Formats: sequence, C-alpha cells, structure tokens
Amino acid sequence: MNNESVIKSRFEENGKVFETGAPVTGAVSIENAVAVGFGDGSIRFFWPDNDPLEVQAHSGAILSIASSNDGVITGGQDGRFLKISTNAEIEEIYNFGTRWVDNVAAYESMVLCSSGKNVYIWSDENDKPKILEHQSTIGGIAIDQNGRRIAVSCYGGVTLWRLEKNKWKSSKFAWKGSHGKVGFSPDGKYLVTTMQENELHAWRIRDKASFAMSGYPSKVKSFTWAGDNPYLVTAGAKEAICWPFDGKEGPKGRKPLCIASGGQQNATFVESLPGEKAVFAGFRNGMVLLSELSEHPNDVLIQNPTGSEVSNISISPDRSHILVGDSKGQILWSPLWEQ
Amino acid sequence: MENSSSQVPVTVLTGFLGAGKTTLLNRILTEQHGRRYAVIVNEFGEQGIDNDLVVDADEEVFEMNNGCICCTVRGDLIRILGGLMKRADQLDAIIVETTGLADPAPVAQTFFVDQDVADRTKLDAIVTVADAVHLSTQLGEHHEAEEQIAFADVVLLNKIDLVDQSQITGVKDRIRKINPYTKIIETNRCAAPLEEILGLNAFSLDRVLEVEPDFLDSDHDHEHDDDVTSVSFVSNTPLDLEKFEKWFGNLLQTHGQNILRSKGILDFKNEKDRYVFQGVHMLMDASPMGPWPEKSIRNSRVVFIGRKLETMNLKEGFESCKSD
Repeated sequence: MNNESVIKSRFEENGKVFETGAPVTGAVSIENAVAVGFGDGSIRFFWPDNDPLEVQAHSGAILSIASSNDGVITGGQDGRFLKISTNAEIEEIYNFGTRWVDNVAAYESMVLCSSGKNVYIWSDENDKPKILEHQSTIGGIAIDQNGRRIAVSCYGGVTLWRLEKNKWKSSKFAWKGSHGKVGFSPDGKYLVTTMQENELHAWRIRDKASFAMSGYPSKVKSFTWAGDNPYLVTAGAKEAICWPFDGKEGPKGRKPLCIASGGQQNATFVESLPGEKAVFAGFRNGMVLLSELSEHPNDVLIQNPTGSEVSNISISPDRSHILVGDSKGQILWSPLWEQ
Repeated sequence: MENSSSQVPVTVLTGFLGAGKTTLLNRILTEQHGRRYAVIVNEFGEQGIDNDLVVDADEEVFEMNNGCICCTVRGDLIRILGGLMKRADQLDAIIVETTGLADPAPVAQTFFVDQDVADRTKLDAIVTVADAVHLSTQLGEHHEAEEQIAFADVVLLNKIDLVDQSQITGVKDRIRKINPYTKIIETNRCAAPLEEILGLNAFSLDRVLEVEPDFLDSDHDHEHDDDVTSVSFVSNTPLDLEKFEKWFGNLLQTHGQNILRSKGILDFKNEKDRYVFQGVHMLMDASPMGPWPEKSIRNSRVVFIGRKLETMNLKEGFESCKSD
C-alpha cells in the first residue's frame, strides 16, 4: 500500500504516524489527551503538545476502555479491571482471574464493568461491588446522560436498570437474537444495539416500540450520534449510513442519509466531529473520510488506505487533533485544522 | 476472504466426559512446545490444563435470525475468537474443548455464518475422543454421542487396551456406519501422532477431493428411526447444474435439520471444472476446484450423514439431476 504515487492528505502531511505493532482496540478522551488501548495490554496517552506516554497495564489485549473522574478505566483479557491516571499510576479495581473483563463504563465517580453474565458497579460509598445478573454473557453496557440508568445488552435483548431509592430496578427490552454494543440516544429516549446479524435494533424507551435498521452488507461494528436532529451514524456499509432520530417516530419508515461514499470497502468505524454536522468514517482498507451530514455531502480525505481495518477514530477534547488507529497498530495523530 | 495463511487454525475437541479430551489436550500442549496455543475451555470441563493462555467460556448457543431454524452458532466463540484476534502476539493455533454433551453443529456453523470469524480463523478439524469401552452404549443412549461421531474428521478410539479385538472391530463398524468419512485412530492414553490430529485442514474444500469415504455395505434393517446413518451415491453420467441446484437447495431447506453433514464432488455437463461442496445442516460451501485431472475418472460422488435419510428420496433426487 506504500505506493509512491499516492497523494498524501493534509492530515498525513502535518501529522505524525506511529507504528506500535499492536492492534488498536479502543480509545477515549481524558483531560486534554486521547488515551488509546492496545492488543498488547498497553495504554498510550496522546497530547496535542507532548510526546505520547506509554503505560504497560494488562497482559493480553485491552478489551474495553472508558474515562472516569480521575483516570481511564480498562478491562482486559488478564481478568483485571484497572484505573490508570494520566501520569501513569495504575490502580487495580478488581481481578476476575481467568474471566475476561469485556466491557467498562463510568459516570462521575461510579465505575462499572462486565465479566461473563454479570455487571459489577462500584460507587463512592462502597468497596464491594453491586452485582447485576443477566441470563447470558454481556455484549455491551452503557450509562445514560444523568447516570441514573444503565443499559446492558445480551442474547435476547437489553436489560435497562434504573436507580430508584438506591436500588437498581430492571426492565426488559426483548428482541430475538444476540445483541452487541448498546447506546442511549443523546436525549435519552431511545436504546440502540448492534446485532450478530447485519443490522441494528432500536427501542423507544417510553413504550418499548421497537424497530430494526437493516440492509447492511456486513456486521455493524460501530455507531455514534451526530448533528442536532440527531442522526444515528453507523458503520457496516460502503457509506456511513445515518438514520434520522427526530420527530415522534424516529427513523421508522424513513430513508437514511448515506454519506462518506468514497470508500471502496465497508466502513468499520464512525465518529462525529463534535459541534459540527460532520462525520468521520474509517473503512476496512484503512481509508478515512470526513463527510458532511447532508443530502449532497462533500468528502475530505483524512487518511489514504493503509491496508488494515480502521479500528478507532477519536477527536481530542479541545478538538485540536484527530487520532486514527488501525487493526495492525498504526496511529495517525494529526492537527485537525490548518495551522 | 483473507488468504488462508493469515487465518489461525482452530481445532475442536469433542467427546464424552472421561473419554480423554484433557489427556489429549495436555499432550498437544506439552509435545508441541515452542508453538503458541490459545485453549478455550468450558468451566464445567475437566481441570488441569497446562498452558498460559486458557480462556474460560460458557457454551452459549445462539439462534440466528435468518429464517433457518437449525442455524445456531456459538456466541461465546464469536466473542472469544474476536478477542483473541485483537492480541498483539501471533497464535499458531486455537483449541476449543467442548463439554461432553455438546452438539458440534453450532461450533461448525459459527465458521460458516460469522464473517469476522471466517476472515480471521479457519476450522481445521473436529476431533472426537471416544472411549472404546463405553462408546457403543453411549451411541445408543445419547443423541450427542452420535452427533460427535457424525461431525468428526478424526475419531480417537481411546482406551483400546481395555477391550478385545472383536469389540474394537464392532465399535469401528458402528463409527463407520455413522460417518464413512472419518479417520479412526486407535490409541491408549490418546497417544496418537499429533500430525494426524492438528493441521489437517479438514474443512477446506480441497480436502473433500482427497478424502475417500470408507464405504460400507450397510444393511439398514436394525436401525431405529432416529439413528444417525450415512448414504452415498455415484453417477457416471454428468449432472445438470440447474437441476442439481434446484434439488439440493430444496433438500437442505426441507430436510437440513436432519442432514448433519453433506459432501460431494460434482461433474456437470459442459463444465470443465470439478465442483466441490460441503455442508453442515442447511449451510453449505461450494466452489469450482479447477479442471479435472487428465487421467482421473470424471464422475459425481455425494455423501450424506444424518437422521431419517430414507425419508428424503435422496437416490431418486440425485438420479433426477442427471443430464439428458
């Protein structure tokens, strides 16, 4: 793929490329940095002005990463649930032994993770975790904007847990099949999951009305929200497929916007540009495009194909930099704007 | 599809509790030192596995929403194989140990159905460890035992020092009647040459060409209705592609639940290439495999392993695919 005739994008010209040798498995914003988790168990913090800081945290791959009040939290194949500060201090929150820690999430001082069929919640006052049990291994977890509800996906649907009078009460959102990632819409009214089949599923929480978003040529591995409507932006097709979630019925019976159409392969990761009606789409061949949320979008090339699947795109908290990571461990860290 | 060298081979070990799965596993891990394995075990499995990369799993069988009732996959395998592919260190192979009562079909189907699994890993072989003393009884009592033999690419007939020669012959006949394709290795303490167990590529279509089924003149008089049996047909008349596709598609749709495995090499009229297929229940993989070798006999051969095969009019169906 290192073809001499390839014209570098402005981002490739102005940015730095790091070959880490380990697949990028996740990334998250913390303070003024982007923290990246890798398949060799390391974490790297990327800052706009300094060199990256590497911390060896887990043995085996990092499976999930999230930002909490005072550091990133990570779950690994070594069964450890860790908190890592931006000055490289590591605190072990819990050790699950031979069981993987598949998912982590945080809200203010509350941190949670899933291992096997259980979700474990640590909040301020307790040393011992609160355990929420489920019927099968957990595919994904999400916390809503107020920290009052936790969505947990597994085989057969989503369990929505609400904190009422200091107790977690559950309610089931059923749909046949295996559910992976889960998320709340920004207004907290919808739940969305990716499925084992090439589709997404969504529920309106108020009345549990549910619908499928299907027609994808491959599994949907990534989704995000963008614009004021908002749109649910999804990977899994040759374009970024954006479903409108405004109005009473959301995308039911409506056509999605299809943007970022320059990739020849299926999109594997999508991320919104905060504050703008724009979306980054990363593709299976490593290409990354920035596209507008409109009927006739303009596309901007961020990264030429690298030959490896884009596994993460993150924007620094001050919106000054973009990070692109792939499944072979190449990182592009580049200023987002003309200097 | 990725090229096959970047796909990590996965060997599946099945067999009833006490047959010797863990003994075999530990032999593989100690004798093949220098090679890096990940071992996926069930928490209810036998203990004591000597490897630094052991992953605990629950056998979670998921139904797919694709309108096919027998299409089940192992959800835990999809998650764990996906996770292992995120590691920085290269694995030489992955071994999946199943519980004694596991049905191998969902494991095999996972490699047909999940694109990520199929891109990054390949099912190398299903190896079934059978207890020479108890297999005959187990076959009569448990559907799972029959399925484990029906799906096996290799049967390790273990503990043969505890039975006499006539018992060995009897149990081998029983195995061949269920699965004429399987290779039977007689062992004590699972002491089989590892090259006959690992790196077999048994699920690749090329291998369908190499392995000649061990045909038996089976007499079907004493079978129960739900015994697993096998049938095979040969045609020296070229087949008609359209007729075959129609018949075979319809057959899998209607009877896929009872057809555990199907394999075949096909000679179609006016086609210079050999066609090869193999299937698990309703799922099937097929492709042209290059021209017929010059000196070989062009004919079509198919094998079905399953239950209630006699109700499917297989012979008539196959015959009707012959070109005019």
